[in-house]
This record gives sequence, structure tokens and C-alpha cells, in this order.
Amino acid sequence: MSRIDLARRLLEIKGAGTLQDLRTIREEEQERVGALLQTESWVVPVVEELNALHDALIRRAITLAEQDTARMGLAAPPVPYAYFLFGSGGRGEQTLASDQDSGLVYGDIEDPAEAELAAAYFGALGSRIVASLMEVGYPPCEGNVIVSNPEWCLPITAWEKKVDRWFAEPSWENVRYLLILADARHLAGDDELARRWKGRYVGDMMSHADIARRMLENTLRHKVLIGVFGQLLVEAYGENAGSLDIKYGAYIPMVNLFRLLAMRADIAATSTLGRIEALREIGILSEEKAEEAAWAFEVFLRLRMLSSNRDDMGEWAGSGKLKPALLGKEEKAPLKKALRIGQRLQRQLEKEMQRRFGGR
Amino acid sequence: MLKKSLLGLGALLLLFPTMAFAADGDPSAATLNMGLNALWILVAAVLVLLMQGGFILLETGSTRMKNAGHVAGKTIFTVGLASLVYWAVGYGITFGGDASEGLNKFMGLGNFFFDPSIVAGEGDAYPSTIFFIFQLAFAAVSLSIAWGGFAERAKLSVYLIFTIVFAAVIYPIIAHWIWGGGWLAADGAQDYAGSTVVHLTGAMAAFAATILLKPRIGKFNKDGSANEILGHNQVFTSLSVLLLWVGWFGFNAGSAVSVGEGFFGYVAFTTQLGAAGGAVSALLISWLVKGKADIPTMLNGALAGLVAITASCAFVEPWAAVVIGLVAGVLVFLSAQFFEKIRVDDPISAMSVHGAAGVWGTLANGLFATEKLVEQVGVGKAGLFYGGGGEQLWVQFLSVVVCGAFAFAASFIVLWVIKQVSGLRVTEEQEIIGLDLSEHGTYGYPEALKRAGTNATTL
Repeated sequence: MSRIDLARRLLEIKGAGTLQDLRTIREEEQERVGALLQTESWVVPVVEELNALHDALIRRAITLAEQDTARMGLAAPPVPYAYFLFGSGGRGEQTLASDQDSGLVYGDIEDPAEAELAAAYFGALGSRIVASLMEVGYPPCEGNVIVSNPEWCLPITAWEKKVDRWFAEPSWENVRYLLILADARHLAGDDELARRWKGRYVGDMMSHADIARRMLENTLRHKVLIGVFGQLLVEAYGENAGSLDIKYGAYIPMVNLFRLLAMRADIAATSTLGRIEALREIGILSEEKAEEAAWAFEVFLRLRMLSSNRDDMGEWAGSGKLKPALLGKEEKAPLKKALRIGQRLQRQLEKEMQRRFGGR
Repeated sequence: MLKKSLLGLGALLLLFPTMAFAADGDPSAATLNMGLNALWILVAAVLVLLMQGGFILLETGSTRMKNAGHVAGKTIFTVGLASLVYWAVGYGITFGGDASEGLNKFMGLGNFFFDPSIVAGEGDAYPSTIFFIFQLAFAAVSLSIAWGGFAERAKLSVYLIFTIVFAAVIYPIIAHWIWGGGWLAADGAQDYAGSTVVHLTGAMAAFAATILLKPRIGKFNKDGSANEILGHNQVFTSLSVLLLWVGWFGFNAGSAVSVGEGFFGYVAFTTQLGAAGGAVSALLISWLVKGKADIPTMLNGALAGLVAITASCAFVEPWAAVVIGLVAGVLVFLSAQFFEKIRVDDPISAMSVHGAAGVWGTLANGLFATEKLVEQVGVGKAGLFYGGGGEQLWVQFLSVVVCGAFAFAASFIVLWVIKQVSGLRVTEEQEIIGLDLSEHGTYGYPEALKRAGTNATTL
């Protein structure tokens, strides 16, 4: 699709009047991008295009949800708010099948009665956004990291207190939350608020040795699925027998790895390729290594894109699993090479951290 | 203290005046020898019988809760039944000396409803009573191996009928061929404690059963991929391997059936090395290939090492025992994957542990048997790597093929007939509810499974 076509499409989304319209646009685009993924070997521009579409769809759905909320008699937002995407949305790496990982932050209100009203408003808005996006075809986040959950829809001071608590108590779960925040990307709403909220914890995370160590453990939890003989470690049993878990055995380990390196270097980029590029720029990754890493990541990104399909219900669903038997020889070889690169990077990080923190 | 001892001695002298003149009635060296043999063989027999405890835990631990009582209990029942049948018929077919020379090549006759002399006869190396118990324990082990192929789906009545045929005919004929003076014994087939006779025979019966019974509900998907049906207690399974491992000293070292100059110690020694090799290599290979070190594979590896060294424990050098165990551990891992690939459901891995490793152990003699040890045991010739050429390897190969084929064919025919007459498998409903309830009326774990029917399917 040419830039002009894409721009027109994005405008169309902006002007869509109903959720049904959005859904229709999404379906058409999904079909088109899905076909593109099958034919295009360089996946990065396709992913960028797809994510631009996702972003536009979600933004429009939020606007429509605001209007719906107003029609329900709750008027306009009493204070500015900002809507964030986490997870693959935050990283700009959404696949054809993406769920909603989201958070909402809004301005503080001194008066307790008004604060309560605001909480009620944003609670209703959050629920409306989630319901709208479900109608457009985005299933809710299974881990309940979503704006309809009051824990993830808070005024800024409450957010700051919450994040401070996570820092003070780096339990496994709290560290997981902090890692989720690290991928947060401001998608809609007030810029100033968004900046303040992100500024609160970005750059602060790795200064705590405790947190850094726990993050490392969390980050290295998913191992790259390649064996000592260079064989793919596929699932042995069940309905996915013979499949390689591209998501958790290739893609996520790389995401985790570069998130951690980026956080340590105070890099604000949230996309994995953006992080690799930034790490190269400041010299933490050599030219060669950065190129290798980016190449490997693109291989995973492409296969991960290919692993999402329509399920029986006609919804887009990503199993994240791929049958290597279905891959041709010309695809299997790069996959194995990329997995070996991923494994090497993971081991390097592990070793380096071991030196820093000592063995476990 | 001294006073008391003297007093005791005096009392004993009064009671047993002959003790004072013991010098006259000194037991002969032969009697002492016999006594020592008897003691050791009986201890060994008890160890082998105790291996049933291992089989109970192995089979129960590797299967699901809803079948636990059935799986465990039927082992005791079939040991009981097999004992009666073996006493009445099986022992006579293995060791009876009344058959004509021609028939004796195939089976023995005589000694049915075995009625032994109450003490060892003049010149006997051990009492026949003890030899009988030792042999019976072996037959029972072979039978319990076969049950692996029946697990979680065969009807109780099938266990009953198959026990009778197996303990009366199938096992005794093969045992006669190699140990009872049959045609393979004449050929010099080396199977010290029964890699072929006991393990391969049991495994072949399991194979026949699992083919005729078909896989358990839910084991394979329509597209041919397998599901993992996890055993309900890995601690049981681990303990079972320890029990079997210890019992194996009776199995192998007991097969010396003499104390003599202590050769049974060497047998015990190689046995330990073989088992150790199997456990180590199986864990490592599963770790390397699958990325996760699999506990059940490691346990099967230990057993495979034991099964393999069973034939060769008296014929090979220590280093060869280690190699035999190491290879067995890798083999059991590959074999289990192979059977799953061809969609054979083997819940306890009986075919891999006892079949594949049994074949390997028997063949290993043809490679590693040494001149010196062959002379010591007095069966067959040295193996390929010790200057014996391929002759012994051929004999070993022949005994594996013939015994394996006979055990498989005989078991298959018996089970096929049962299948036509009364059916082998419980109904789908019964299988889902569990055999504890369908065959026995109560659960092995009543508290855990009280809400039967509502959630039993998920267990």
C-alpha cells in the first residue's frame, strides 16, 4: 500500500462513525495485511503499517467511547487523562490478533467528593473503551492489565504511590508490573500527563540493585527454544504437538533481553528494534551485534505474525505457535540461525549479570 | 555375664546332648556348601519377589489416580494366581525331566503339582524347594512386566485368564529353551539372569496386549499427535525404581545359584554399574534432545540399564557393563519416542524398558563376552570384541528373534481369542470412570475421588 493509500485509510478510520464501521475497516485491512505477510519477506514495514492501523482504530474507538459515555449522561472528562498501551501494543509490535493491554491515568482532584465523581466517570469510560474495543475485535487482556480494572485506571498521584510501592517491594509480581510499565506507550489523551507519569519511573528502575536482579531473573525466564544439537525444541504433546512456541521461545526472550538492556541504558524507545538501534547508537551494542540482533528479531517477528490466524469463531487469534514441518527449508535455516543468535545473546546477558550480582 | 553364658551353655547341653559330640557329626563340606547356597538363593528369591512391590509402585505411579487401587491390587492377585499355576504346571514344563529327547528340545514334562523332597538330597547343590521359589519369583516378574501393556483399560477377567496361560505355558516354554535344557541352551545362548527369558518375554506380551487393546482414550489426537497422560505420582515411580534396583541383586546375583567362591559378587558388581549407566545417560539424553531433563525417562533409563545388564552381568568386564548401561539409557529414550510415533500406547514404557533394553542386553553378550568369564560360567563362547568372532552374536540374535517371536505370537493368539470370546477392554464409560470403580466398586483413593462421575474424567 502506498503512503497515500495508508493515509487515506487512516483518515477513514478517524471519520468512522460507529464501531461496526471500525470493525469492517479492520477486517478488510487484516485480510490485506495478512496476504501481504504471506508474500512480503521484509516484515518491518508491514508491521509498522499494521500498528499504525491498530493505533488509529484504538484511538477512534476511544473517542467514540467518550461520546458514548457522554450520552450516558456523564458529560465530558472532568480532568485530562492519558491512555497507554502495554505489551505488544506498547512496543508497536501488535500482530493481526492482539488483545487489550492498557492503562489509564488522569489528573488529580483535591476535593474528595469530586474525586469520587471522577473515579466513577473514568471507571465508566474505561469499561466503555474495553467494551468498544471488544466489538472492534480486540479481546480483553487475560492478565487483567486493562483500563476496566480499577487497579489500572487511577489518578496520577495514586499511580505514583502504587509504582513507589512496587519499587519498595520488588516481589516477583511487582517486578512483573514494572516490566509491563517499561513498555508503556502513550496512545491517546493528554501529553503533559503522560510525560509526567512516564518520567516518574523511567530511568529509575535499574538504580535499585534488588530490582535489577529480579528483573533479570524475570527476563531470562523464557529460554530460547533451541537444543544443543541445533534442533528445534518443539512441543511433544497435545494439540500443538510438533509446534515451536515462537512467541515464548523466540520472540519474548528477545523482547525481554533488549527491554532490560534499554532500561539499564535509560533508553525511552519501546519497540524492540528501536531499542536495538538506540543501544547501537550509544555503543552498548557493536554495529555487528546490533545488526545480527535486529536480523534475528525480524525473523521472529515475521514468524510470529504468520502464527496468528482466524479461529473457529472468526476472531483473530494468535497461538504464537508454528509447525516447523510447514516451513520450507529456506525458512528453517534462518530460523535456526536466529535462534542460535538469540540464545547467545541470552547467555551473554546471563553471564554478565552473574558477574554483577554473583551466582544464585 | 560369663556366668550367665556358661549357665546357658549348660542348659543347651542338657537339652541337646549331641552338641557336645559335634566333632563326630561335623557337617561335611558339601552340606555346608549346600546350606550356604540355600540361604543365598532364598534371600535372592525374596528379593525378586519384593520386586513386585516395585512393579506395584511403578505401574501405579505412572498411571492415574482413578485406577490406582486396581493397578496395585491386581499385581498381588496375579502373583497369587501365577504361583498356583506355576506350581501345578509351569515349573514342570520348564524343568521337568520326563519328556522324550525330541520333545525336550521344545518343552519339559514332569514334576507337575510339584511335590519336593523336604530337605536337599545327597549331593544336591541346594534344596529343590528353594530353587522352585526362586524360579517362581522370576515367572511372576515376567508376568508383571506384561501388565504394563494392559494398564488402565483391560478387564479384570482378562488378567485372570492371561495369568493362567502365561504362567502355565508361554513363560515356561521360553525358560525351558534357554535354562531348562531346551534347544537354545544346547546352542549356548547366554542369558545369565533373563534379559530375554524374563524381560523380553514380558515385553512381547505387553506389546501384543497394547496392539489388541488399542490406545487409552485421549492418548492420541485425530491428526496422530500424542497427548501426555501423566502418571499421578512421580514419588511412587522413583521409589519403585529403587525397589526394583535393590531387588535386582537377587535377580542377577541370585542367578549364580551358588555361593561357592563368591562369583555372585562379581555379578552384583556389574549389575550396579549397568543400572548406574542407564540412569545417567537417559537423563542426559532427554535433557540434550528435549531441552528438559525428564524424570520418567531417567527412571526408565535406570531400569533399562538393569534389564540390559541382566543377560550380560556374568559375561562382561566392568567397562563393558558401564557401556551396556549407557547405551540402554539412550535406547530407552529413543524407543519410547518411536512407539509413540507409531501410535502404540505404552503407559509404563514396558516395551522400551524391557523389550528394547532386553534385546540390547542379550545382543551385548555377543559383543562383549570375555573368554575368561565364559569359562567361569560355562555357557557359550566369547563375543565379537574378544576374539570370538560373530558366532556368539549370531546365537544371541537367534535367541532374541525366536523367543521374541514366540512370546509375541503366543500372547497375541491367546489375547485375540479372549477378544473374540469375551472382549479385552472395559467400556468407554468404565474407562472414564476408572477401573477402581468399574472392576472393584471402590476407589484406591476414596477421599480424593469422592465426587465420582462429576470430575473423574478430569483425573
